[in-house]
Amino acid sequence: MTAYILRRILYLVPTFFGATFLAFLIIQMAPGDYLTQLELDPKVTPETIARLRNQFGLDRPFHEQYLLWMHNLLHLNLGYSFAYQAPVLEIVWPRVLNSMVLVVPSTILLFLIAVPVGVYGALRQYSLGDRVVSFLAYLGLAIPNFFLALILMYLVLQVYFRTGVMVFPVSGMTSSGFEQFSFWQKVVDVAWHAVLPILVLTTSDIAGFSRVMRGQMLEVLTQDYIRTARAKGLAERVVVYKHALRNAVIPFVANIGGILPTLISGAGLVEVVMAWPGITPLLLDAISQQDLYVVAGFLTMGLVLLMIGNLLSDLLLAWVDPRIRYE
Amino acid sequence: MPIGRAVWLLAGFLAVAGVASAQTFVWPQKWTVAKPSEVKRGGTLRNYTLSDFRTFNPFLTAEAGSVPEIISGDYGLVRRDPTTGDWIPYMAESFTVSPNKLDITFKIRRGMKWSDGRPITADDWVMTWRIHTDKAVGSNSYDSFFLDGKPIVVRKLDDYTLRISYPKTDAEAFAVASFTPWPAHIFGPVYQREGAEGIKKMWTLNERPGNIVSGGPWLIESYRPGERLVLKRNPAFGEWNKDEAGNPLPYLDRYEIRIVKDVNAALAEFLAGNIDVFAPSTVDHISQIRQAIQQGRLDATLKLNASPVASNQFMVFNWNKASDPFKQSLFRSDKFRKAMSHLVNRQAVIDIVYGGLGTPMYTSVYPVFTQWLNPKVPKYEYNPQQAAKLLAELGFTRKDREGYLVDARGRRLEFNLATNAGNNQREQIAKLFVDEAKKVGVKVNFQAIDFNTLVGQLLSSGPDRPFDAIIIGLTGGGLDWPFGSNVVPCKGNLHMWNKSGQCLDPRETQLDALYSRGRTELDFKKRVEIGYRMQEIEAQLLPIIYIAGPNYHPAWNNRLGGEHPDAIISSIWGARELELTFIKK
Repeated sequence: MTAYILRRILYLVPTFFGATFLAFLIIQMAPGDYLTQLELDPKVTPETIARLRNQFGLDRPFHEQYLLWMHNLLHLNLGYSFAYQAPVLEIVWPRVLNSMVLVVPSTILLFLIAVPVGVYGALRQYSLGDRVVSFLAYLGLAIPNFFLALILMYLVLQVYFRTGVMVFPVSGMTSSGFEQFSFWQKVVDVAWHAVLPILVLTTSDIAGFSRVMRGQMLEVLTQDYIRTARAKGLAERVVVYKHALRNAVIPFVANIGGILPTLISGAGLVEVVMAWPGITPLLLDAISQQDLYVVAGFLTMGLVLLMIGNLLSDLLLAWVDPRIRYE
Repeated sequence: MPIGRAVWLLAGFLAVAGVASAQTFVWPQKWTVAKPSEVKRGGTLRNYTLSDFRTFNPFLTAEAGSVPEIISGDYGLVRRDPTTGDWIPYMAESFTVSPNKLDITFKIRRGMKWSDGRPITADDWVMTWRIHTDKAVGSNSYDSFFLDGKPIVVRKLDDYTLRISYPKTDAEAFAVASFTPWPAHIFGPVYQREGAEGIKKMWTLNERPGNIVSGGPWLIESYRPGERLVLKRNPAFGEWNKDEAGNPLPYLDRYEIRIVKDVNAALAEFLAGNIDVFAPSTVDHISQIRQAIQQGRLDATLKLNASPVASNQFMVFNWNKASDPFKQSLFRSDKFRKAMSHLVNRQAVIDIVYGGLGTPMYTSVYPVFTQWLNPKVPKYEYNPQQAAKLLAELGFTRKDREGYLVDARGRRLEFNLATNAGNNQREQIAKLFVDEAKKVGVKVNFQAIDFNTLVGQLLSSGPDRPFDAIIIGLTGGGLDWPFGSNVVPCKGNLHMWNKSGQCLDPRETQLDALYSRGRTELDFKKRVEIGYRMQEIEAQLLPIIYIAGPNYHPAWNNRLGGEHPDAIISSIWGARELELTFIKK
């Protein structure tokens, strides 16, 4: 067991260096750099730009920049943002926390809803309920997140125009005057703002997730050991939940490792459209401005979490699936 | 004796009152539509911004809309009167210009205080200037303190007297002098102890708001990253800024700025009444606001076409194409460029790209700078027949099998045109031009490329540069002297059409000389004359073909009062002075 874990960790080392190198390389391959924008400013002289480029280290050869960055990284220093003139972690972390307000409840909701929906679809295949759920799932899959968000914002606004009642806020994470609220008022206020974005996030994810769950379940239900279990005269409930479901969720357990990095990677364009101060708007800015170390630092954080997550899911898998043995 | 004593007391009282009135700056009634009697105190103005704040540090940021600019009100020794455009004393009580025009001596207003109670004195300006001009700090304002590479020097004569010395006479002297001071007692000790590195570490977004000292109208109350900046009134500012009735300014208790990354979300919040001000830039946004107002869903004011905006879109041809002498001679010919200007359908651009709400442009001066705009400048307006005629004079008389013009040697009239991908308006302008060009037989190959690549091509230098023609825009340029120091001089970094490092056309040399003359001319009228002359030469030389720009349409919720009179609502002065704005209900 220990040898197995050690071996897995050893594998991670080359993966880490390879992936960070690739990430750094891809960002650097984009034309121009952070200071290119400044070059079109009629008030800034080329000498100033050259001086800034030198101060930011952007005039050094690629391998030097990478090695310096790697050196800092190994000392747990993610680097410095050009745009904010501050350490990357200091800028990124509060935004990641804001994103988690959406991502964590949405992930929990996802499992709570998608698993039963998928099981139901498999048990009552082609029933009216299954068809309705399937239809909704396809609809959810077909509508992009940001578009659903825009539609909901439009609806909220129309309801407000007709009734004068703001059911949910149009956008944002807190109300005006938030600082003066008591602790519980703050909690309620954020929760009230989070309803729509969480809804948007969960809807599209449920769609895909429940379809896969349904397919898995259908496949397992046709296996010989299910027929055997039924032939043994086990209760249907036991057959479904103990024998079938446990095997049907194995692919999801294998994917749990992927959830860890999604916790920090934000809720995507919903954050931009609904003005949620999460990590996505910040990251998009950093990419378009080529704020090198913010992008590289963020990718590295995701990478490390992905590696830890994969390790965890390997261990979990071995625990859930008795067919897997440590060799 | 009692009488004598009473008189003495009265005299003493008058003297004190005299000093007190010298301390205050009275905001003129003509800057607002509201009378002091209608004004209410208190309330919050809710604004938004599309890009997040980067730092609280005034030495690391110079962008418009940065936190230091907002809390300080962006004021200095002098400020402009929006009704006339003139520089008037502000934090200075008065100023005198030396006979040789190289020194300006400012008497600093007494009684001004930082928000922490310390007096604002000459030391603050000197320290601010010293830090801005330290190369290691990397301030974006660095270049503004140099004239042709020679430093502008800020010197303290006594606590309330300051002298700014210029290496040569400068039309923009007051613009330089209007830089915002920051507290020397906060930045000075750190700078002395740790130098530039110490300054860079100060006032990041994680600094406690209470530690940020302001001399302007606002203090930071709270900042939530990526979400909202809340400012509160700075009482120290109100001690020397009053309206004509003597009320301290600003009237507002709070000024809130939400960070809304997506302009559609900002519009939705404005329509819902959660944001008080909005400046729609697309036809779609304008019609949504107009509809909401007409249907009574939103109590707001929309000032359509208040003025053109201070930015432009233009097309520039590359004069440095040693590898392709045919194209090079074409692009260097003013007849060719005039023909191309005749092919730009500016009205169609305005109708299609700006929904009918834009202004055509023919010179480098933004149309909103009305004082500077030479109305008599020749305009090469949309006229395909004239374009065809000019091209025929250049030898393009025949058409080939595909319908494109060729010269006597069979060379086809064809070039590439690029703009930055993702800028829909520029892409539309380019496509309109391609269509018009095709009609007279000019083949234009349009390509939208990455912004940074485009800038790289545009700013490359030498005898052979990698592009034919580019559509792009510039903003900036001041009211004192609207010509770009990087653009007009032949060695300028943004002398985009010709970056061989020398003037190629005698008219470029002329423009270069006129630029320097205007920059050092202190008499405004004479400077405008030079500007007029430059626009005439520009129109003949046509190094850049100006196209059009959108208009400015401010909108605000009617809970706000105290906006500018209509005459001064423009993209230069905005719709209001924040200090004179109040909440009606």
